[in-house]
Amino acid sequence: MIAFVLNGQAVTIETDPLRRLLDVLREDFGLTGTKEGCGEGECGACAVLLDGQLVNSCLMPVGLVAGREVLTIEGYRETPRYRAVAEAFAAEGAVQCGICTPGMIMATEALLARNPNPSDADIREGLSGNLCRCTGYNMIVRAVARAAEKGRGLWW
Amino acid sequence: MVVTAYRPATLAEALRIRAAERAIPMAGGTDLMVKHRRHAGLAPKFERPILFLGHLDELRYVRRHEEGELPGLEIGAATTLTDLLMAAETPAALRQAIAEMAAPAIRNAATLAGNVCNASPAGDTLPALYCFDAQVVLARSGGERRLDIARFIRGPGQTDLGDDELVRAVVLPLVPFDRMLYRKVGTRRANALSKLSFLGLARLDGDIVRDMRCAFGAVAPTVVRCRALEARCINLPRQALAAQRADLLAGYAELIVPIRDQRSSAEYRRAVALRLLSQFLSDL
Amino acid sequence: MSISQPVPRQDAAGKSSGATPYVADMKLEGMLYARTLRADRPRARILGIDIPPLPEGYVIVDRRDVPGRNRMKLIFDDWPFLAEEVVNHVGEPILLLVGPDRETLDGLLAQIVVHYEDLPAILTLEAADYAPRHSEHSEGSHTTPPRHSERSEESRGQAAYPPPIYGADNCFARYELVKGDPEAIFAQASSAGQGIRILEGTYTTGYQEHVYIEPQGFVGLVEEGGKVTVYGSLQCPYYVKKALVELLACSPERVRVVQTTTGGAFGGKEEYPSILAGHVALAALKTGRPVQLILDRQEDIEASTKRHPGVFRYRTAFDDGGNILAMDIDIKLNGGAYAGLSSVVLQRAMFAATGVYRVDHVRVRGAVLATNTVPTGAFRGFGAPQAFFAIEMHMEHLARELGREPLEFKMAHALRQGDATITEGRMWHPVRLPEMVVRLDELSGYRRKRQALGQGRPPAGSLRGVGASLFFHGCGFTGDGEQNLIKARARLAKRADGKVEILIANVDMGQGPQTTLRKVVAERLGIPLDDVVYDNPDTDRVADSGPTVASRTAMIVGRLLERAAMEMEARWGESEAFEVVVDYRQPDFVRWDQHRLKGDAYPTYAWGANVVEVEVDPLTFEVTVVGAWGVYDVGVPLDEQIVRGQLEGGLVQGLGYATIEVMTLKDGRIEQNSLTDYIIPSAKDVPPMATDLVLNPYEDGPFGAKGAGELPLVGAAPALAAAVQHALGLAVHDIPVTPEYLLRISEAAKQHEVRG
Repeated sequence: MIAFVLNGQAVTIETDPLRRLLDVLREDFGLTGTKEGCGEGECGACAVLLDGQLVNSCLMPVGLVAGREVLTIEGYRETPRYRAVAEAFAAEGAVQCGICTPGMIMATEALLARNPNPSDADIREGLSGNLCRCTGYNMIVRAVARAAEKGRGLWW
Repeated sequence: MVVTAYRPATLAEALRIRAAERAIPMAGGTDLMVKHRRHAGLAPKFERPILFLGHLDELRYVRRHEEGELPGLEIGAATTLTDLLMAAETPAALRQAIAEMAAPAIRNAATLAGNVCNASPAGDTLPALYCFDAQVVLARSGGERRLDIARFIRGPGQTDLGDDELVRAVVLPLVPFDRMLYRKVGTRRANALSKLSFLGLARLDGDIVRDMRCAFGAVAPTVVRCRALEARCINLPRQALAAQRADLLAGYAELIVPIRDQRSSAEYRRAVALRLLSQFLSDL
Repeated sequence: MSISQPVPRQDAAGKSSGATPYVADMKLEGMLYARTLRADRPRARILGIDIPPLPEGYVIVDRRDVPGRNRMKLIFDDWPFLAEEVVNHVGEPILLLVGPDRETLDGLLAQIVVHYEDLPAILTLEAADYAPRHSEHSEGSHTTPPRHSERSEESRGQAAYPPPIYGADNCFARYELVKGDPEAIFAQASSAGQGIRILEGTYTTGYQEHVYIEPQGFVGLVEEGGKVTVYGSLQCPYYVKKALVELLACSPERVRVVQTTTGGAFGGKEEYPSILAGHVALAALKTGRPVQLILDRQEDIEASTKRHPGVFRYRTAFDDGGNILAMDIDIKLNGGAYAGLSSVVLQRAMFAATGVYRVDHVRVRGAVLATNTVPTGAFRGFGAPQAFFAIEMHMEHLARELGREPLEFKMAHALRQGDATITEGRMWHPVRLPEMVVRLDELSGYRRKRQALGQGRPPAGSLRGVGASLFFHGCGFTGDGEQNLIKARARLAKRADGKVEILIANVDMGQGPQTTLRKVVAERLGIPLDDVVYDNPDTDRVADSGPTVASRTAMIVGRLLERAAMEMEARWGESEAFEVVVDYRQPDFVRWDQHRLKGDAYPTYAWGANVVEVEVDPLTFEVTVVGAWGVYDVGVPLDEQIVRGQLEGGLVQGLGYATIEVMTLKDGRIEQNSLTDYIIPSAKDVPPMATDLVLNPYEDGPFGAKGAGELPLVGAAPALAAAVQHALGLAVHDIPVTPEYLLRISEAAKQHEVRG
């Protein structure tokens, strides 16, 4: 039995501890907002927060998550911080095909939670593990900067 | 149900399981989960059960200690790369290598010990660990032993880890240096495997070279470091280094035996490794 | 309000929150999974397949399960859904294993043993180049009848040549264009004292993988009543439908194709989805249950289509005055194992072979050859990125020979309105290159940097350079495609609920038509944007407005919708609910002869100019892009922000193509078959970019819009390569410009100097 906190709720699951957290989220909990883009930890589409830290759920065996807190896009989207990020992404044209977007948003939260006033280089570093093929990134970077700027009361 | 993974509550319990099951140690999983990945939607498959270690807080620490003449850092086996970036005591050479590794999500889970045990010829932390004469602390239920990293890593993916042993910590003597050149040449600026890497470290006392160490990554089955060649620079005035350069380059050229693979060519790896060495020497 | 004014994208919220489902998120009651057994040899006869005993609920699907034709209908008839006697590339699908548990499927798959007899494989473009057996007059045609693939009398003696993969000469398509009398000029050139100089150059371009972040996939099911429905990540619902109709030998009403929100495509989901749709359809029919097939990333890289690699040979006659007298161009593209759309890619490459320049006498010969490697296919630009790399580098090299500044030299030869195109059509519309170049220089400082930077210039130890490129992209399907193949139809429905619905087959794959085309309709009808509906297309409901390719969606289909909206507006009061149907009509000024490849290959062109600035590390030869700028003419942008998203995204994708996207094959197998090894730009690899637009309304585009999707990728690689040339003082002929390549050419140049 593996017990952890998922999007603020205590949950338990009986399953092979080596199953990828990605699959457990998507299949056992029906949380399909976390995506599989590569299965090798390169694209970041599967990124979630584990105890507030960004991790690639395709590389995280669910057994290692016991006793910890997992936050997916479904949990995050209920928060005011999410609203600020989503508004900024929409305003800056940072969403095209959308498949990278939930992961990018989780990476954005992980960044701003630690560094509420990031420089352009800091933002690129924070997003360096999230691949996007549509936008060329600069519109996403501007969106993150915009969210940070408008983030009074949220991250600062 | 077949046990695919164990989750020990303590190091002691982990050691017992390791010995009893020859279970495969997994700290962050970022190498093992990729190496053993299967088709989308499937859990990875291993020949033996996995032994989770990443959750053991008793293995997650960076402790400074004064040991003999040199202070050192003891880095617990579950210490992540991010932990090391956040620790003030992490020496610049190791910090820079880690900062250029992978990306935040990987660094948050991956461990230094894991990078060592993976023993990839391209392991990013290895050149620094070799230059600092790091040691690996190997624990078993009966006791512990220490091994120099250059003895612990035997070849690509091969270490001296016994079937009943676990890496408990990596010990890093805090050797002082005041000159450093670190270059990782990757396939891209971030989140890239290394085509080759070079670390050159030196300490000068006025104009005299008191210590000089260099290591090359990804240009041979294991990290290339040669004390005999380094010794030729020790206690030389730096102006005398120019005269040594040709011999040093020739000496390292023999040791640098890169391969061609999907990332780069042998000629490129060799040529650039030597250029970086040359640059380091002329900068001194 | 100007149409160009950005509006919020309606799809952003669902995508950001993770609520919008993609095909891998679908889970249907009783759904089974499919796994594909793929060839691991480049060319082999299948002697037999050992299948382990299958548990209850698990089935094999192979070519024997095909009720109709086992050929993916596209242009040629050579591409099987499932292998027959011979496999022709690593990754070719042989059979499917279908069942409820993926772990079990994986285990069964591992137990299957295929007995192969290896056949001599054709693994490189050089090896694929069989001299034509007969004196062929190249005929321009979309359908070259497949010739029979037995060896001819002549070749039987040549045991060294493997049998051709396609036709008698291993060539999917071969064309020749001649404009003016180049032969006469080259003949003149060979007599001394004519003042005619010759420059030759060979330029090569590599593979490129799309790396849409969403891997390909489908779900197929059989409805009550026997209709087959497939849901998938795709660009062309009707291509898929037509392919299924032939595969299943059924009538069109028995097949339904529904696009799921598509996580990137870039041309990679133009052809290959038809194969996958066929697979799930067969699996669903055999099992009677819904079946999901999602490609693993490695599988997707190894098996799905890639950009055609190419070799371009130029021979140019010119004079000291810098006049270009004639060009002779030979193009060879690597088509992989099956033809797919290769014949059209070749045509587009040929029509781009003299770039934006006036060349009065030119011969272009092109051939796309078959190899036992992954089939190549559509990828943003579709032959143009390859051709523009070649012509732009050739012009750079000509400029160098003449001691002229390259951009100034290029502009001196640039086409103007009214000039003849390479196919002797006309540039009917204004060509804004001069003002684009002025604006580009303002943004980038190109001229100043061209003087200040460059090889050997201070500051010492840094190698910086700038390069520029000029390019166009023909909008709409090449040649007579719109007129004779696609024949697009759009439907616009006024609904009783007060909404107006767009019923077209084009998909939103990130590039925003679900916003831009709704704007067109809303503006023309004078109704709020929110009242216009445009859902993911379902072939049961929408007209066949053609594929989402060739930069045609905004210009061609958008124009159909604009006409429909205007008609609807005029008829608005007529009824509470009615439909307007509009069919494509080719603009009157277009004249095109598909057989001779003469006339207007495209009704109009979008134009671009790029500058890229680089810094090359003198120790490692790593290239850092320090800045990238582009000025473009896409007619009128239907939404400035959406268009900017295309401009920046395309530019970055082109920079990747030029530098870090390396794909090499060893024994027919892709070496970089994971995202760890096939590298695309990350956020840290992207320089500051600035783009701008020049307005140039096109009378047959909605609100004056032209195509914009592919153009921004086309010019990036040559601008980068030109910048590297400037930085290093070395000629670049090949992309990707990797550090390994730069080391090699730099060493070669040194050897050359030493030898004197």
